[in-house]
Amino acid sequence: MTRPVVERTRTDILILGSGGAGLLAALHAHQTAPDLSITIATKGLLGKSGCTRMVQGGYNVAVNPADSVERHFMDTIDGGKWLPHQKLAWTLVSTAIERIRELENEIGCFFDRNEDGTLHGKAFAGQTFDRTVHKGDLTGIEIISRVMEQIWARPINRLEEHRAISLVPNKAGDAIAGVLMIDIRTGTFRYVEAKAVLLATGGGPTMYRYHTPSGDKSMDGLAMVLERGLPLRDMEMVQFHPTGLLAGTDTRMTGTVLEEGLRGAGGHLLDGNERRFMEDYDPAMERATRDIVSRAIYAEMRAGRTTENGGVYIKMGHLGPETVAKKFKGMVERCADCGFDLAGGLVEVVPTAHYHMGGLICDVDTSTELPGLFVAGEDAGGVHGANRLGGNGVANSTVFGGIAGDTMPGYLAQNPHWLEADEAIIDEAIAKATAPFGKTGGDLNGLRERLLDLMWDDVGVLRDATGLARAVEGLDAISDELEATGLPDADRAFNLTWHDWLNLRSQIAISKVITHASMARENSRGAHYREDFPDAGDMESSTFTVVREAGGKLTTVNEPVVFDIVRPGDTLLKDEPAAAE
Amino acid sequence: MTSADTISSETIDVSVWRGGAEGRYETFAVPLRQNQTILDVVTWIQRNADPTLSYRFACRVGMCGSCAMTVNGRPRWTCRTHVSKVVENGKVELGPLANLPVIKDLAADMTSFFEKWQKADGAFVPSKTRHDPIEEILPNTPARIEASAAIECINCGICFAACDTVRWQDEYLGPAALNRAWTLVNDERDAGKSDRLRAVAAAGGCHACHSHQSCEQHCPQKLNPTASIAGLKRLTMHAYLRGDL
Repeated sequence: MTRPVVERTRTDILILGSGGAGLLAALHAHQTAPDLSITIATKGLLGKSGCTRMVQGGYNVAVNPADSVERHFMDTIDGGKWLPHQKLAWTLVSTAIERIRELENEIGCFFDRNEDGTLHGKAFAGQTFDRTVHKGDLTGIEIISRVMEQIWARPINRLEEHRAISLVPNKAGDAIAGVLMIDIRTGTFRYVEAKAVLLATGGGPTMYRYHTPSGDKSMDGLAMVLERGLPLRDMEMVQFHPTGLLAGTDTRMTGTVLEEGLRGAGGHLLDGNERRFMEDYDPAMERATRDIVSRAIYAEMRAGRTTENGGVYIKMGHLGPETVAKKFKGMVERCADCGFDLAGGLVEVVPTAHYHMGGLICDVDTSTELPGLFVAGEDAGGVHGANRLGGNGVANSTVFGGIAGDTMPGYLAQNPHWLEADEAIIDEAIAKATAPFGKTGGDLNGLRERLLDLMWDDVGVLRDATGLARAVEGLDAISDELEATGLPDADRAFNLTWHDWLNLRSQIAISKVITHASMARENSRGAHYREDFPDAGDMESSTFTVVREAGGKLTTVNEPVVFDIVRPGDTLLKDEPAAAE
Repeated sequence: MTSADTISSETIDVSVWRGGAEGRYETFAVPLRQNQTILDVVTWIQRNADPTLSYRFACRVGMCGSCAMTVNGRPRWTCRTHVSKVVENGKVELGPLANLPVIKDLAADMTSFFEKWQKADGAFVPSKTRHDPIEEILPNTPARIEASAAIECINCGICFAACDTVRWQDEYLGPAALNRAWTLVNDERDAGKSDRLRAVAAAGGCHACHSHQSCEQHCPQKLNPTASIAGLKRLTMHAYLRGDL
């Protein structure tokens, strides 16, 4: 087969993704070294694709004098069930203070104030201090809009609607040389040569029947690093939010989050017969933690006590429809636009895959095993361990994005040359991306539905060895069928169906990794629950999973967690009893 | 998981713009669902009727402003527009956003929208650094109330597409960019006010607005850019009379 034309361009630093991590990295790299050429490539429009924009809750940061970095750290470690990489978690909580000041003072975000003018911190689940800084319930829009303006105001190159398909190393395979992409608008290939590359595409467990992340996400970043044989950690750790909207067949809004606060304010969860069921599971009822409520709803669904579309109901009306409409204005309006009466009626909900704690292994300076490749945001693993605290997500992406932007110019000073690409890898990536065009037959939409159901049923909220084994077989079958599924080669420009095919390929690759890691963890920690191993296991000998691919096979090992800052049972807080467990 | 959603035999006729600047409308029969948005209709066509249909979306919940299109002649966010709100006699017509070049089918090129945001000096100019504490700022001063009332723009481009002046006058900066400038002139932390006033007072700036109020009528976030622009008109006039412009 003859290779299609590949346009070639060059840049010093290439950033994949334009959420909080990618944009902060670009700003910092430009501030550190204004003479470098910096390019941001993003699957959608700059700042509009990805999930930072969708942050409702806020930004955890210990800026109140009555709070402390140590307290934020202990909450993060405790929430992560002692699995976090402690130096990464420490870097997160300690750098968040400077980053929130940068966002306010330099970038122009304005966060909500108390009446006396000081910064308002709100309470958020799992934290011992009200440290979540926010802008109403649209914190993400404020952060990303302000950062986006700063990027547009600077000489930073933009490759919008560009999809990365392969991280290309040099011939020796010991450093990154560039990234192969598809220009979505034209359907042509572009190879961008770069001395350093930041992976900041944003994870996002969109392979589950019900999921919250932005619909353009498909795990492309992690699928690309898996192909390079790089190590992924904590991949079994998929966080489910208990209340996603359920709107029925062929609706994009299905799975999107109805906020935590609804339960906190006194909302009730009812089964299909309108019976309040949480009392069967936890004395805290609907106010139990995310994981407990998610498991309860999932168990109700499995027992068949469901609503018309297969979920449960959330009911707010007993609090007074007018009060609800006032207090949860955004949520009530969103539901109304889609045809639901949240303030006074019953709205169908389901647990929904929200965040992926797992990701590429990296150091505190965001460097990875492959020289020249850096990672930040949801693509990186280790910061959150077995569970992410609400409010630590946007802190993570902006903290480590900025660190990546500070680090990469230093790497370039030591490694000032572009490297010759391994052309065989470019050829192989093009062949794989264009494979469907030579073929006819297959059912792309049907395959996607099967993947969503398989991951939901067998690798979802409740897992066991039998279901996971079934998932391994099922994923192999779906994967083989996708390779045999063709597409008409009519017009490749802005061809979303081609990208649906490519999305599915990335999602399948990472679904396999999640399944393998879930098999390897024979205990129940944080977001990962094994019905056949319900105990959390010994904290002192905690391990984390590491999955790699070699020769088309996945290997998983359990590595010991290093307690280099605090050991289970101890605390950094003075004069206080140690955290539980 | 099978769904018991009402899979009705009813359909609607959906006319969809195909092509770039030159093109034509094509009609598809799309099955009606109970909880269906215009974005769901477009997605159904791409998945089931014509796999080459191009459109743009991301967040699905009205936060990213990627999926705005022209629906029956009016700009709307399609992920939050229920079909029942717009269907007329069983028909809906969909096109790309107006006042922007078409890339293909329903996807418009938003570059000029963001370039004009920059021309309006729509980026914050700092007076402090990351090494300073966060300023204590009272939330209820008149200026802060003005800034807060106009800040929750998602840059979807709907006001830009709805605006007659944008259509008539190439250099007009448009409602969203000027609205952002208004939030900045009311931001006590911003150090770029005099340049910004010059930028919005120049040709194509706030004085080009005819106050037709289409922006206010169409803004899905219920913002009022016309009022923001009126504020800029007053400020720039005062600055001019003082000799500052």
